Amino acid sequence: MFRDSRKAGAVASPYFAWALIFILVPLAMILYYGLTDPSGSLTLANIIAIAQPEHTKSLLLALELAIISTVICFLLAYPLGMILAKNKMSSQGLITTIFILPMWMNFLLRTFSWMTLLENHGVLNGILEFLHLPTIHVINTPAAIVIGMVYNFLPFMIMPIYNSLAKIDDNVINAARDLGANAVQTFLRVTLPLTVPGIISGVTMVFIPALTTFAISTMLGGSKILLIGNVIEQEFTLTYDWHLGSGLSIVLMIFIVVNMVVSAVSEKKDES
Amino acid sequence: MSKELISLSHISKSYDGQLILDDLNLVIHENEFMTLLGPSGCGKTTTLRIIGGFETPDQGKVIFDGQDITALAPNKRQLNTVFQKYALFTHMDIADNIAFGLRIKNKTDQYIKDKIQYALKLVNLEGYEHRMPDSLSGGQQQRIAIARAIVNEPKVLLLDEPLGALDLKLRQDMQYELIRLKKELGITFIYVTHDQEEALTMSDHIVVMNQGYIQQEGTPEDIYNEPENAFVADFIGDSNIITATMVKDELVRILGHEFPCVDKGFGTEKPVDVVIRPEDVELVPRGQGAIPGVVSHIIFKGVHYEMEVQAGGFEWLVHSTKESPVGTEVDIRVDPFNIQVMNKPASEDEQALGVEEA
Amino acid sequence: MNRKTNPVEKIYMGIIFLFMYAPIVTLIVLSFNKSKSRAKWGGFTFQWYLNLVQDSEVLNAMANTLIIALIATIVSTVIGTAASVALTGMKRRTRSLIMGVTNIPMINADIVTGISLMLLFKVLHFDAGFITVLIAHITFDIPYVMLSVLPRMKTISPSVYEAALDLGAEPFFAFRRTILPDLAPAIISGSLMAFTMSIDDFIITYFTKGSGFDTLSTKIYSEVKRGIRPEIYALSAIIFVAVLILLLLSDRMKLQSGKLASRARAGGNEKIKKIGGIVALAGVSLAIILMALAFGGVFSKKSTQVFVYNAGEYIDPEVIELFQKETGIEVVYDEFESNEIMYAKIASDGAAYDVLCPSDYMIAKMISNDMLMKLDWPELPNAQNYIGRQYYESAQAFDPSNEYAVPYCWGTVGILYNREMVHESVNSWDILWNPKYKGEILMQDSIRDAFMVALARRGYSINSVDPDEINTATADLIEQAPLVQAYVIDQVRDKMIGNEAALGVIYSGEAIYTRRENENLEYVIPDEGSNVWIDGWVISRDARNIENALAWIDFLCRPEIALMNFEYITYSTPNLAAQEMIEDEEIRNSKVAFPDDETLSRCDTYVSLGEEGDRLYNEAWKKVKSAD
Repeated sequence: MFRDSRKAGAVASPYFAWALIFILVPLAMILYYGLTDPSGSLTLANIIAIAQPEHTKSLLLALELAIISTVICFLLAYPLGMILAKNKMSSQGLITTIFILPMWMNFLLRTFSWMTLLENHGVLNGILEFLHLPTIHVINTPAAIVIGMVYNFLPFMIMPIYNSLAKIDDNVINAARDLGANAVQTFLRVTLPLTVPGIISGVTMVFIPALTTFAISTMLGGSKILLIGNVIEQEFTLTYDWHLGSGLSIVLMIFIVVNMVVSAVSEKKDES
Repeated sequence: MSKELISLSHISKSYDGQLILDDLNLVIHENEFMTLLGPSGCGKTTTLRIIGGFETPDQGKVIFDGQDITALAPNKRQLNTVFQKYALFTHMDIADNIAFGLRIKNKTDQYIKDKIQYALKLVNLEGYEHRMPDSLSGGQQQRIAIARAIVNEPKVLLLDEPLGALDLKLRQDMQYELIRLKKELGITFIYVTHDQEEALTMSDHIVVMNQGYIQQEGTPEDIYNEPENAFVADFIGDSNIITATMVKDELVRILGHEFPCVDKGFGTEKPVDVVIRPEDVELVPRGQGAIPGVVSHIIFKGVHYEMEVQAGGFEWLVHSTKESPVGTEVDIRVDPFNIQVMNKPASEDEQALGVEEA
Repeated sequence: MNRKTNPVEKIYMGIIFLFMYAPIVTLIVLSFNKSKSRAKWGGFTFQWYLNLVQDSEVLNAMANTLIIALIATIVSTVIGTAASVALTGMKRRTRSLIMGVTNIPMINADIVTGISLMLLFKVLHFDAGFITVLIAHITFDIPYVMLSVLPRMKTISPSVYEAALDLGAEPFFAFRRTILPDLAPAIISGSLMAFTMSIDDFIITYFTKGSGFDTLSTKIYSEVKRGIRPEIYALSAIIFVAVLILLLLSDRMKLQSGKLASRARAGGNEKIKKIGGIVALAGVSLAIILMALAFGGVFSKKSTQVFVYNAGEYIDPEVIELFQKETGIEVVYDEFESNEIMYAKIASDGAAYDVLCPSDYMIAKMISNDMLMKLDWPELPNAQNYIGRQYYESAQAFDPSNEYAVPYCWGTVGILYNREMVHESVNSWDILWNPKYKGEILMQDSIRDAFMVALARRGYSINSVDPDEINTATADLIEQAPLVQAYVIDQVRDKMIGNEAALGVIYSGEAIYTRRENENLEYVIPDEGSNVWIDGWVISRDARNIENALAWIDFLCRPEIALMNFEYITYSTPNLAAQEMIEDEEIRNSKVAFPDDETLSRCDTYVSLGEEGDRLYNEAWKKVKSAD
């Protein structure tokens, strides 16, 4: 619309300024703090600190739980996406009503509510007891954290998968059947590959928040289980070591960047 | 005529309580180019999808080569489909698209390679193996869709409005291309379209459908020259459809003027419809024809002039190579063998299938 | 095309639906629970809904949440839309570069975004508070707007706009009349998304907010550790139900307008517009109602303030009200979870709070780091007259010449156990290492208290800085970790009341309260000894409202106020006059509330460990926490 690029620049300039000051400069701050010590001299100590056993452990545990949560989210979301797409529940209204609505109940409250549900004498065990089934001990274990992550991030997996499924022309599926593929072959060779972009964006949107959360692990892990997010949070709020906190954040960002590159590459592939 | 390949008997199908096909019977012979022609919603696509196996009829049977395939899954049928808007697999390159069916059947790599070459040559797209579908034009995508279907050596190729998304020039080129392909492959084509010109150009056998019923079957010439009812007449080409009275055999009264004709057996003083193609209406100087009229409109169409003539209280559509300026006083004349007499719809039901709806 | 949902699919959807909504139903049920503890159902009540109207803290947080979300949405929508429109006209490479930057806040971890902005604000000496949170929200909202508007913008042909220019329209007018209507749906959905994200955000707000400023999220987080006040459930239930109704309403309208549109293609347009208007009106009026509900507190801002930073659940809210009424000073009241968190906060911003209530060892540390201000004693007559001499003497352990702190509460640390679940005598910390009680033990989520338990058990000094002793204690705590159900602070109380655990490390002040709620609970100070602690009021060196802070401290030392406070929080008061006024004889003579000298002789106060000691403890604690 703007053939005149100077005009376009003028209209976009507030945004450019904003992005520079509040996106790029702050990231530079993290780099600065992460690569210096309190006296201001350059050091890699804050990054190498990830090798300390307690940091490595919290990172590995966070990776493990995030991967498990992402996989569970995917396994739950894909069939749901297929059901929704098949039944043409495209009247976005329903989807929003079901999956956006809970977001209006505060994220922390929702997570907090799981404490009530999962506690040893909580609602879930109450029901199990009533049914004379063995009760389960979940609260304050990694399993509880995984439940919390899956619960909070599931909508971010469902949305893109549903969207990519809904975009597939019925006739493309019919074509595969027509060319001799049975239902399983059609799914594996056509449906699944066609939804790869949706899957990747869903995975990104679940994996990163799961990897970096500290609130869910604090609440459902009983402060017993330290994830990398908790360690970083504590460096800022408890032990007051911004340099170490920033250094560990840089490590965290490496994982995020890898994820971004992967999704950008697949997006480009999709575009061409 | 050659042997029966597919027969549909007493097929009914409805969605949400709405009847789409009602007791449809149809026979398709080996090696013919058959076209299902009709306006949208006439049931032609549903018929095709029932043959393809994407729909199951509520009632009736589909017999293929002597076997009942009504409940057979689409992947088990010996026919392939070319879909509306091509339905190519956008995540695969052209070669993989074409090889899809062959890989499912576990053909050898060499066989698949040869087949891809053969198919691409057949559709004039050699060298496109490693392009992605999105980088091809509509016409090219269409050819790939055809190539993808025919490498499986189906006995029948189903084509669902394959040219619908193409522009006029390309559509005409593809029509010839399809005729050529049909000849080279020597298999049966079942073709669905709403475009009468396409149907007339390519088909051996046309089935005109409306509102779930077959209106008329026959060769393109039959359909064009001797429409059996007003719907067919109106749908196939331009025509003047006029309510008339059959005075007796070989004499019909149109707009108060009697015309000799060649039709017999309608009875005497019976209301009928007559169809007169615009190119069959002759404009002659006043006093030399049957009905006097005045030219009210004229446009030049290249091959001929298209004129509207007010005569006998009817607006006649006339095609002629001779120009008659607006206001010219003329007479209308029609040769007896150019008057096609049709029965009026007998019941309200039949009425519903008639012209008004089209 | 048989689009009937089969039963398996229905069941599957049902399960997911249940999973999504079980916590929400739970919260709504809790909002009607008479018992304050979420562990117990105490009968049905509307009380919390009624209380909500007066709960200015919660309503303030709500107002902040809405105002931030609203302003952030509007600003980000304008900036984002303008940027999207401009970007469409740029070169592909420029565009993808800029989109890359734009996507950063969305793809990046919230914690990193939050920290990066926090660092920026600190370096720029921006006062953390409303503005910083707003900026942060705008920053993460913009991508949501652009992601919605940009794709739509690409589909719009510029010829309509050019046609408008050709017909003589001014560029902005042309834009408003041609492009904007086409963009509207995308702008609306983008800004709705931004609004939702803003409302739901916790992490970024958490790092960018300052003192005395809370959104609903951060308010809830600060309350999570000790149990959330039921008014918050009530508020959330109201919001949830309101949004639900609104969504259902708009869905139905959409359906109707869809029917209308197909029925009357030509004439129906007006009607659709009207229905859209009704929906919008309903939305706006809902927002207004919520805001009006919330604004009560915001507009009654007073000229004088005092910023108070106290431990959680450590004051009778009524006391704050009385103080405000009497003095006209507005109390901005925040709570911290642990001394360490309080320290980090004051260290990063000394002016954030005026008056603080740390524990003994932390006061010592702050004094040695020059973070506190000497008190102006003549301004504190009540503190001089009513606080017992012996408590000032004890306080000399951390405040050698009684210059900085006025004792507020004191007590011991001990074991609270459930007689129904523990059938042996409890007299040693050892019991917390007994595998019999695996999963039934609650430890304090506080470095000093956790190490105190381990050190005292070994007979070491609870202030040890000997690396060997600390290593032994660390190893012990790591050994204990698998037995521990959770490391919590104030939650020990609720969990013990709800029979969630058999044994818990707890402060003596909670013992009286828990005993009231669950008579099977017993408090003991193990024979090996424990910690006796004093929490005192101090004033930050950089305090801005010193006089008000002094008035606050002295007000709390007034005997009747101290008494009222004691009866609410049940922590032992050093106020002798108040002690004498306690009516309940059992409590007045309680050994839990006021232990005898023999018991006290076994207990030690914490002293500051020094920088090296702190570092040792911090590292050891991280090892313990990541052990299990």
